[in-house]
Parts: sequence; structure tokens; C-alpha cells
Amino acid sequence: MAAEKAEMDKLKKECDALRTQIEAARKAVNDGSMSASAGGVAGLGRIQLKLRKNLKGHLAKIYAMHWSADSRQMVSASQDGKLLIWDTFTGNKLVAVPLKSAWVMSVAFAPSGNLVASGGLDNICTVYNIKAASPKTLRELDAHTGYLSCCRFLSDTEILTASGDTTCCLWDLETGKQKTVFTNHIGDCMSLALSPDMNTFISGACDSLAKLWDLREGACKQTFSGHTSDINAIAFFQNGHAIITGSDDCSCKMYDLRSDQEVITYQDPSLNAGVTSVALSNSGRLIFAGYDDFNCHIWDSLKGEKIGVLSGHDNRVSCTGVPNDGMGVCTGSWDSFLKLWN
Amino acid sequence: MEELDVPQMKREVESLQRQLGMGREKASVTVTELVKWVEGGYCEDPFLNPELMRANPWVEKSKCVIL
Repeated sequence: MAAEKAEMDKLKKECDALRTQIEAARKAVNDGSMSASAGGVAGLGRIQLKLRKNLKGHLAKIYAMHWSADSRQMVSASQDGKLLIWDTFTGNKLVAVPLKSAWVMSVAFAPSGNLVASGGLDNICTVYNIKAASPKTLRELDAHTGYLSCCRFLSDTEILTASGDTTCCLWDLETGKQKTVFTNHIGDCMSLALSPDMNTFISGACDSLAKLWDLREGACKQTFSGHTSDINAIAFFQNGHAIITGSDDCSCKMYDLRSDQEVITYQDPSLNAGVTSVALSNSGRLIFAGYDDFNCHIWDSLKGEKIGVLSGHDNRVSCTGVPNDGMGVCTGSWDSFLKLWN
Repeated sequence: MEELDVPQMKREVESLQRQLGMGREKASVTVTELVKWVEGGYCEDPFLNPELMRANPWVEKSKCVIL
């Protein structure tokens, strides 16, 4: 007992020493700042978007949405126990997928458009073929010991999941088995995002840390701290060199991967609501952040200023997404509606 | 937040050693390059380039036609 405690203390000391060294290494390259680099960048003024469509159909809180790679279809998940696939050009519902478990927290569209996946408090990621005559369950990925908070397809044969059991997992859809388990967070994993080159991914968790992982090696490559509460949302810039996080501490942050540091915090004293979701415009200049205050606020990523707001929901904005063609933004809410803005 | 046991702590030490070993580039270079990259993307960003938003897929096509 005493020997184990002695070993624990020794290991804890080693960890603390290593963390101190990492902070020192970060300081050593911290010779710049966003205000310095973006000093010459012209301000954008106020961004005012119009509400183009209000999609009605769900009967309870919407928890997640994801755009299809075609920038036209979109899938949404609600605790009314359904996934709905929408044609956003017409506003029509194309497919309704009834869920075994209504407690859904995440939904994803495969890049091919053939499959969607969802999961939640059932701890299972269920994959559906939506091209069949009626939606058919393809796989039930059942190994997490906590809720499924996020899922993203790499292809029709691989999917990544994040769970309340503090791990993320890469699954082989042909066998239905786990390929790699990513273990390093000490709090529920809440969100994940794939890098554009698909070699790495980032996760945000309730331990207030964001982590960058090597998909094939399974190892954590970098850890980003600074937030003081759960990280609920995370997104990559399309060049794969920077990330944005959104947290229950009411702020968003940008982290630069190459210099391994926090670059800028997006916060406003008048904003006392947690961030639930984040999405970036194609250039990365605009951050669309969904908040518990029923709004989606628009931030200038380079200037750190709040430059717009999407108001209209009657409850928390739970999910936000920009399609691949960047032509607008979708917000989903606990008020059961999805809104399209541009 | 879960408490780690000895094997998990050992893995944490290994992980931190790996993370320490990464090559960190100077922020003055990387952040400047990030800003350049963002600015270079404006013409392809429909929110910043009004030309691209002309073909707005979410707006009803006009019912009137100029003859």
C-alpha cells in the first residue's frame, strides 16, 4: 500500500515536471501574437445574415445536425426519437429514420451520402443505410461504457466516436469492431473533429482540455489547456493548422497547432452563456458559435470581435454547421427548429 | 473526473514525454502564416465574397421574368 502510494507520488511528480517543461517549450516559441500578425487586417464591420428557411418537423429538442458533403442535404437528430434528412434547397424532408433509443446526442452523414450514424445515452453508435427502400440498420457499434457524444465518418468503412466514458474510438464498419481506442482524457469526451487531411483528429472534453490525436498510431500528440470548464464544441480550420473550441466557460478559443499554443480567446462580458457548438466559414474568418442564450453569435476570428448575431430561436442553440460549399450556416435548437441563414 | 491508477499514470508520463518532444515553430511565423492563409481564402468564402452569394441556393427563385 505504502509502496504503491510512493510510486504514485513519484509518477505525479514526473507528470508535473513534464508539464512544466512543456509550458517552458511553449513560452520559448511565443514570440508573436494575433494582434501583432492581424494588425494590418481590415475590419469586417457588422455581419447581418437573413433567415432563409425555418425547418419544422421535429417534435422535441434538436441535439445535433450534420451537413452532407453535397452541401444540399442535411441530417438532424431530435429527442423525439427521429433522424430527419432534409433537402435544404426545397425545405422538404426526404427520409425519416426512427431510432431505437430516443436519447440521441449526435448524428453524422457519411461523405458518400449513403450512410448516417447516430447515438446518445444508449452508449451505442448505430449506422443506417439511407439509400435502401426504407432506412436499414447496418451496424450497432456497442463497446463504449458511456454515452455517445459525437460521431464522424471517415468513409463508408470507418467511423470515429467520442464518448462520456472519456475515450474516443475508431471503428471498422465492415467488422463492426473497434480498431483503435484513444485514451488520455480524464473527463467525458464531448466533441470531435477530423483534420482535413484525415491523418489526425481533435477532441474536446469535460476535463477542459482539447487533444490532437494521430489516427493511425492512436497516440495523443498535443494537449491544449486554458478553458476553465467543459469543452462542448471543436472545429478545424481548413488548412489543418489551427482549431477553435467552444466551452461551458462561455468562451471560444483559437489554438495554433504548429506553435502549440492558445492564440486568442473570444469572450464578451455580456455573454454569460455556455457555448454549445462552433462552425467556421470556409476562409476561417468567421466563427459561428451557438450559445445557451438562444443565439448564435458571429466572431471575427482574426480581430477577436463579436460582429454579428443570429437571433430567432426560442431555446438553446444546440448545434451549428456550415456546408462544404460555405454558402450559409444552419442552426438547430432545443426549440425543435432548424434555421438556415446567409 | 476519474482518478488514475499506477498503470494509467505510467501511460500519462509516456504521453507527456511524447508531447514534450514535438517540434514547436515560432508563433510569429505560424500565426502570420495563418492570417495570410485566412485572407487568401476570402474570394472563395461566400460570406465574404458577395459575388459567390448571387447564386443563393436558399432563396426562392423569382416568379417574375423580364421579357
